[in-house]
Amino acid sequence: MNPATLPRSQRIFRALLRVLPFDFQTNYGHEMEGVFHEQEREIKERGGPMDFLKLWSETIAGIFRTAPSEHWEILKQDLAYGLRMMRKNAGFTVIAVLTLGLGIGANTAIFSVVHAVLLRPLPYPEGDRLAFIRQQAQKLGINDIAFSTHEIEDYRGQNQTLSGLVEYHTMSFILYGHGDPDRIRTAVVSANYFDLFKVQPLLGRAFLAEDDKLGAPAVLILSYEYWKNKFGADPGILGRTFELNDRLHTVVGVLPPVPQYPVESDVYMPTSACPFRSAQKFIDNRDARMMRAFGRLKPGVTLAQARADLATIAGRLKSEYPKSYPDNMGYAAVSSPLQEELTQGARPTLLVLLAAAVFVLLIACANVANLTLARMSRRERELAVRTALGAGRSRLLRQLLTESFLMALVGGALGLVLAYSSLELLTQFAARLTPRAREINIDASVLAFTLLAALGTSIIFGTISAVFTRANLSSSLKEGSTGVGAGQSKNRVRSALIVSQVAFSFMLLIGAGLMLRSLIKMLRVDAGFVPQRVLAMRTTISFSKYAKQEQLVEVIKKILDRVQAEPGVISAAMSSSYPLDSETISVGPNSGTFKIQGRELAPGEAPPVGSYSLISPAYFRTLGIPLNEGREFTEADGGKGPIVAMINEAMKRRFWPNEDPIGRSISYDDGATWATIVGIAGDVREFGLDRPALPEIYIPHSQIAAPSTLSARTMADPRSMGEAIVRAVHEVDPQIAVTHVVTLEQARAESTTSPRVTATLLGIFGGLALVIAAAGIGGIMALAVSQRVREIGIRIALGAQPSKILGMILGHGLLLAAVGVGIGLAGALAVTGLVKSLLFEITPTDPATFLGVAVVLVSAAIIASYLPARRAAAIDPIEALRTE
Amino acid sequence: MSHHRETGHEEQQLPLTPAMFHVLLTLADEEMHGYAILKEVERRTEGKVRLSAGTLYGIIRRLNEEGWIVESNKRPTAGLDDERRRYYRLTELGRHVAVGEARRLEELLEMARSKKLFSKPKLA
Repeated sequence: MNPATLPRSQRIFRALLRVLPFDFQTNYGHEMEGVFHEQEREIKERGGPMDFLKLWSETIAGIFRTAPSEHWEILKQDLAYGLRMMRKNAGFTVIAVLTLGLGIGANTAIFSVVHAVLLRPLPYPEGDRLAFIRQQAQKLGINDIAFSTHEIEDYRGQNQTLSGLVEYHTMSFILYGHGDPDRIRTAVVSANYFDLFKVQPLLGRAFLAEDDKLGAPAVLILSYEYWKNKFGADPGILGRTFELNDRLHTVVGVLPPVPQYPVESDVYMPTSACPFRSAQKFIDNRDARMMRAFGRLKPGVTLAQARADLATIAGRLKSEYPKSYPDNMGYAAVSSPLQEELTQGARPTLLVLLAAAVFVLLIACANVANLTLARMSRRERELAVRTALGAGRSRLLRQLLTESFLMALVGGALGLVLAYSSLELLTQFAARLTPRAREINIDASVLAFTLLAALGTSIIFGTISAVFTRANLSSSLKEGSTGVGAGQSKNRVRSALIVSQVAFSFMLLIGAGLMLRSLIKMLRVDAGFVPQRVLAMRTTISFSKYAKQEQLVEVIKKILDRVQAEPGVISAAMSSSYPLDSETISVGPNSGTFKIQGRELAPGEAPPVGSYSLISPAYFRTLGIPLNEGREFTEADGGKGPIVAMINEAMKRRFWPNEDPIGRSISYDDGATWATIVGIAGDVREFGLDRPALPEIYIPHSQIAAPSTLSARTMADPRSMGEAIVRAVHEVDPQIAVTHVVTLEQARAESTTSPRVTATLLGIFGGLALVIAAAGIGGIMALAVSQRVREIGIRIALGAQPSKILGMILGHGLLLAAVGVGIGLAGALAVTGLVKSLLFEITPTDPATFLGVAVVLVSAAIIASYLPARRAAAIDPIEALRTE
Repeated sequence: MSHHRETGHEEQQLPLTPAMFHVLLTLADEEMHGYAILKEVERRTEGKVRLSAGTLYGIIRRLNEEGWIVESNKRPTAGLDDERRRYYRLTELGRHVAVGEARRLEELLEMARSKKLFSKPKLA
């Protein structure tokens, strides 16, 4: 009967039956309809409307009560059956679980990073309303200028959109009284800093407004880690005092274990306690900029509104203080979500890795689907018989999906173990990219992701195998044991799966290859200095003890004389930073504008910008930076001598492309003093091997001293000299903190950690994909050979040479690989744009990489097909014809 | 696909749900189709146990799988009967289980009697 013509009640009843398992419906649905029909008829004859209502409610309740237990029954059977099958096919199970485990593990591991860094909101109450505020000189291409005290006050006082605006800067101070002088990373912050972030101290109190007044008693808040590592989480820490910058500081609080942005600090102090920040000269100078600013959006205020608000204030400042904000700098103030600010450096790398991990999982799925299909062909007759005996097809589909889910679940558990064990390594890696790395862990969301990945995986590979098994079941019995027709259509499916594995592997290997090639290029790049046999260290000299410039110059000279006198030291230098120092890289260039004597700026023209380095005379010699023209600094420069400067080649190219800059003068204080250029040094990649040298101005220490690093070129292995050099510095002044002793080779290697780990991870993923794809090709070739034994036997009997048979099978493998490479090529061309931002001096369509990967994949395919091909060539025709 | 359990282990299946027991009891005398079982249970319990189509066939599926009932060879009489009907019959095993359940209930009843639970309640 056409369902549309059925009485409505019967149609509703049929719809209700659908909540029951399919088999139950086929088995009892008809009878149930019959029973319901009789009940209805009876009520029609002798009942009232209330009886109808009762019948319906009882019927509905009955069906819904029965359905769960019926589904559960089937699930129990399927699980038991699935487990039995897994045990019975232990080899298959192990390979499938391993493959899925690797795929799911890779995804879980990368997802845990993506989740912690990119997806999870900042771990502060309403962290999404925190904003990073910055000033820019847009016409000069400088997009992050620090704030001066006046500017902080202006933006804090005039804004309408922020519920608070706090300042922040970091300093390295020396802490005395705990063994060697310790350099502590100190964050100097507004009193309401922690209120803005909504962080409650674990012990003690946050800063109060009184703490921030000039002359207030100096107080400190310790970070949780510093308190734990340095003071063994001593609960009696509150009230203890420490000597810092010639003053006693009292500990008033300890922070809870929260991530600290933008960098981790050991202690926090209010602005009044920082000798630089609280100096009247600094406070009064609108152009003395040192601080960063954070704000919190008022409730209901959008980021766009806050931006407009800041732009209004910037405009006002420009017209009020034209000297501080000249037209030609393109002054602006902007804000961005703090979360974005902290994670944007990590985003491209993490997304590429996530995509790679997903590819690995897809390849794993295709591979397991293929294995399952192969196994199914052995089970086909069993399944066909079960169908013939009345097992519904959806019942079989359900059984197969349950089996695949079981497999994926075990794979998922394995993946979780893999992800968990790689967590520490990944955290170290991510720490190169974002301050949020510390938050990486495997939490409920990651577990849910793993479960979903397992579920999704089982649905993908389970459906592929189930659908194609189903399609062949009916023909399987008819055809008899050879199953030629069905076998062919199934071989097509298997071939398609292999081709897709090759294609995905190709794309992954392209990614890995591009990263590897650009890493090699980066490692081979000439950084402009000779890193071998140079030891560098951070030296923190008490600002209060050497308050005057002359005192500093004198102590620098003493240190350098003493270190140079050390046997084994060829030369030594002090400088504001050294190339590829991790801290220099994260802080970025110390850029500023300058004037060139005799060149007037056209109206609206941007002034020249350079990056400043403060160095002692032997700096170039010590670091192996070539002097291209003119002379180096000498002891005679600075002080009472002439004011001089050196520049690098990039500076010359930029500002004196057609003339000799030697003898020209520049001014970095708006024309108050002029420095004569005396020499030109070679370009140095200070801020990363992948970043070309910026125009750079070198200023001798004797004019402006900020001796924060010491480097020494040694005769022997510099690492063996570390202790002697530190001792030499301490002989001059035991209160100088010497920390972070590294060789320049280490610093150089460390600066490439991020691309190296990215290349390694992509390489692992690509290698995994290659092995899986090659094993897949080998497997399908072996299967094809075993199916064609008779045919090959006949060919050989008819005179085909073994070499021809060999070639035929190899050709088949080659064809699969070639089609896969072709599709992968198209795919790779479509997505390599993704990795573009991660590459160095190489295009995303680098022909050498593409060719190399294609050769590798095709060779792997040939090697994988070789064994089955040789077996085919060795088939004995008589044996082959006898077997059937 | 049904698993026929061997005699001797049926105690493990006890106690039965009242509805299951009623269906077994109903089939003790004669073979019946679903609707007849449903009506008979309702009649015998004076409407206290009412089965719906869903619960009845859930029970039938279970009893069938346990091997306590089987579909009988009896076919509906053409014209007189709804051709959708199937008839069910109690197996030896099913009878055994029903007897076991009856004994269990009897023992329970015995215990209640020995505790004088049925003596007239004292009037306050």
